[in-house]
This record gives sequence, structure tokens and C-alpha cells, in this order.
Amino acid sequence: MATARPIRSMDPYAEQFWTYTLKKELRLQKCSDCGKFRWPPGPTCDKCLSEEAEWAPVSGRGKVLSWTTFRRKYFDEYPAPHTTIVLELDEGPLFVSYPVDVAVEDLRESMVLSLRWTDGQDKFGEYNLPVFGPPSA
Amino acid sequence: MAVRFDQDRLGRLRDTVAVVGVGETDYGADYRGAGGKAMGKGEARVDHYTLASRALKRALDDAGLTKDDIDGLCTGPTLSSERACELWGMNPGWSGSGDAAQCIIEATMAINAGLCTTVALVYGNAQRSMNTAYGGARVTGGGITSYFYYAPWGLTSQGALYALFFQRHKLLYGTTEEQLGAIAVAFRKHACMNPNAVMQKPLTIEDYMNAPYVAEPLRLFDYCLINDGGVAIIVRRADMAKDLKHKPVMVSAIGWSEENVDATQLRPRLKDFYHTAHHGVAAQVYPMAGLTPKDVDVFATYDSFSVHLLASLEGFGFCKEGEGGPFVQDGRIEIGGELPCNTSGGMLSESYMQSWNHQPELVRQLRGGLGQRQVKGAEVAQYVHDVAGKCKSIIYTRQ
Repeated sequence: MATARPIRSMDPYAEQFWTYTLKKELRLQKCSDCGKFRWPPGPTCDKCLSEEAEWAPVSGRGKVLSWTTFRRKYFDEYPAPHTTIVLELDEGPLFVSYPVDVAVEDLRESMVLSLRWTDGQDKFGEYNLPVFGPPSA
Repeated sequence: MAVRFDQDRLGRLRDTVAVVGVGETDYGADYRGAGGKAMGKGEARVDHYTLASRALKRALDDAGLTKDDIDGLCTGPTLSSERACELWGMNPGWSGSGDAAQCIIEATMAINAGLCTTVALVYGNAQRSMNTAYGGARVTGGGITSYFYYAPWGLTSQGALYALFFQRHKLLYGTTEEQLGAIAVAFRKHACMNPNAVMQKPLTIEDYMNAPYVAEPLRLFDYCLINDGGVAIIVRRADMAKDLKHKPVMVSAIGWSEENVDATQLRPRLKDFYHTAHHGVAAQVYPMAGLTPKDVDVFATYDSFSVHLLASLEGFGFCKEGEGGPFVQDGRIEIGGELPCNTSGGMLSESYMQSWNHQPELVRQLRGGLGQRQVKGAEVAQYVHDVAGKCKSIIYTRQ
């Protein structure tokens, strides 16, 4: 059974995103007209207002922008302490996630991390959660 | 992006509206007597309207006006204007709603458009009694615009977003946690000079550093209070503001600029520290008032978290980008210092009134006579509202 996580905010666009994670594919919407990647998902491109988009795979590489360690428990599924990070993906969007296989004290500004997967489950069902760790050698 | 505002038109609004009355509830008593704590969680003895009504009455008394003089109403986000008007027996000619700065800006516009002459701006919030939560699983239903969107990864709460913000500031500029602590310490010092502040116990930098982290690198004292209270402000067409109880305080500048692109990704916070919005507002308010940051005697910023002050001081040009940390040290932001900030104690130590409490404080500083809390010779007071990409500012002056 997959790990229980706080409930996802679900809409048809989010549902699409999470469905790809079942295949361990990190795909973001990419505007079919101007090519801008966007995240979180939604109906239109903020650059050109086009409604045409494809779900394009991303490299899964990002640079660390910031992080915070929760010392107080907010979610039963995440006992304190736990850390979240924000990465800037190669494709442009900033992406909130959490770090794996790297100690918080070893995190550095602009450090390159790459995609890993862990599991997750909530009332909408099972999925895989994109998380980030040091690139494998 | 092209210039979006018209300095000539904006300039014509300078000093056309005055603040003539201010009032608030007894924050300390509201905090100690919070209905929910006394009567069991979730069972409020007071509600938003009770507190708002009390503040309204005090602001009217302070102005020497009655509710029949009011022909415009602006309510804070917790209140329905329809219910508020019904409770207060008002049929205004115009009404609006929003945060404090937004209400002052909108009231200024409505008065200048000729829709009304005298506007009551009223806020009440029984959030402590009602056990309001700003993070965690109880903040459900968060759609795409909410930090709750990232709950699957464990990210929650505004505090965490500002922790990410401050961590980034540390990484880029070497800002220290002790420097951030100077803000909470200064505001507490001010609260101790303010009999109406909730927090009356002095706070040292050691106390600050010894306090637990909530979302590291933010500690307990970087977070605002959660308390009950109400605030009201009466603004009036400047030519009708003479011969009231107090000398009017002028609204000398208003400014508004937003930074929302890629907001959910946190880009405006982490890549820009909201400075694009700050610069947009600064370009409006200083020319409109005919002043510069150097002329500001008293400053207040929306301080749901201490970090806001770093961002606004840098963005409005009180110091260079990245130099907020050194700037807030050595008593510079304390009463008696170069730029006294949040002189009531702010939302960290006076009362979390979602910035409504800052307005009476700035008005009173310009009226004078605040005793040990008085900023000597205060003639220009600036408020900066900097929340989730919506930056607004008001400059008040003593004529």
C-alpha cells in the first residue's frame, strides 16, 4: 500500500498530471503555440493565452532555489522535522518538492538535483510523487 | 511593461481626503477573553461584527461624527457589507471591501468621484475565538492559488512561504537570523510602550534566538499573533474635515502595483522578493506626495511575518537590495532611531488585524502626543502593504 499523503488539490488538469506519475513520467503542460512550459497546470498559456497545450516530458533536472524545514507538525502524514525545497527546473518553471538522499545541511543554492520517485496515496487514489535527489553518477 | 498610471491624474488626488477618526477595540482584553478559549473551541462569544461595531463607535466618537454622517462604507474581508449596513442602520451611497490600504485607496477614489463624502472603513476579526488555522490539514479546499496545492509534498502555511523567502535572502545576501530577530525585538519594544498591545513582555535577541523554529529559518517570534479585535477609520473629503475633534491627517499619496505572474510557483517571492511591485508603487507614491523615502518619519509595513519589513525597506529604497539585514540593526528601526517602523508593535506584537491596526497608529503618530511612543516631529508616515503580490502604499502627512 502506498504512503498516505495530505490530500491533493484536484481538478481535470491536476488529474492529468498525476495520471502521468503512475508511469513515473514527469510531464508539464507546454504551450503548443509559443512553447512556454507552465506549472501548476491550467487551461491557458499566460504568455500567449493559447488554449492549445501538450503534456511534454521535462528533463527532471533542477537547481535548488530555497528550502524550509518544518519543526512543527502541520500534517499527520509529515511528522516534524521534514523539509520542502523549491527548484528551478531546466525548462523554466519553479517546482516545489522535497529532497531525498541529501542532508539538509548539505543543500546549497543552485545545487543541481534530479528527479526521483516515491509513492503516495490519498482519497483520489494512488500516485507517484516526484521528489529530488543528487543526480546518480 | 508600459507605465500604467497617470501621475498627473494621481497627483490631483493628493490631500483631497483626510483621516478624521480612528478607533480600535481593547486588543489585550480581546486576546485574554477570546470567546473560543473561554467557552470551548469554536464557540465564539464575540464575532467579527461585534468587534467591528465596537471599533466603529470609537472611531465615530474620535471624529466627533455620528453614523448619520457616514455616506460610504468599506468593510474588511471578514464582513459582509450587507449585514454590516443592516447592523449599523446604514444605507450608504457607495460601499467597497478589501484590506486596509485597498479601502483607503478605494474610498479616496469614491470621494473624488463624487459618490460620497465621508467613508467608514471597518474591520473586525474574531479569529482567535473561532480557532482560525492558517496551515495544515484544516486549510482544506485550497485550489490552485493556495499553498495547499503543495500539500502532497508537505508544504503548508504562509509562514512556510516566508521561510522559503528568508532562506533565499540568506543564501543570496548572507542575511543572518540575528538580523531578522532585530525586527521582532524592535516591534516588541514598541508594543511595550503601547498599552493597547497584546504583548507586553519585553523580548531580547537571546529570547528570540532561543525560541523554537516553526518553519526554519523562521522562529516563533517571526510569526504574527492570532487574536481578536476590531479597527475602524473615518475618512472624509478634506474640505469637510476642518473643525472636527482632531486636526485632520491627509492622505497625500496612494499607490498600487501587483506582481502575480508565476505566483503559484513562488517566482515573485523567490526570484524577485516582490521588488518589481515595490518599485511600481514607489514610482507612484513619492512623486504624488512630492516626497522621497528620506522624508518619511514613521514607517509601517504589513508584518504577518518579520520578513516583510526586509522586503519593503529594500523595495522602497530605504536601503539597497540585500542590505535589509544590516539596516534593521542597531536600533535604526526603533523609536528614536533613523526610521521607526511598526511603532505600535505591529502584527507581531500589537494585534494581528491584517494591517488595519497600522493605520490608526500612523494617524496618531502624526497627530502627536503619544508619550514615550511618540516619534518626535513626525510629519510624514508611510504604510506599505505587501501581501501575495499585491503591493499598495499610503503616505499620510500632517499639514
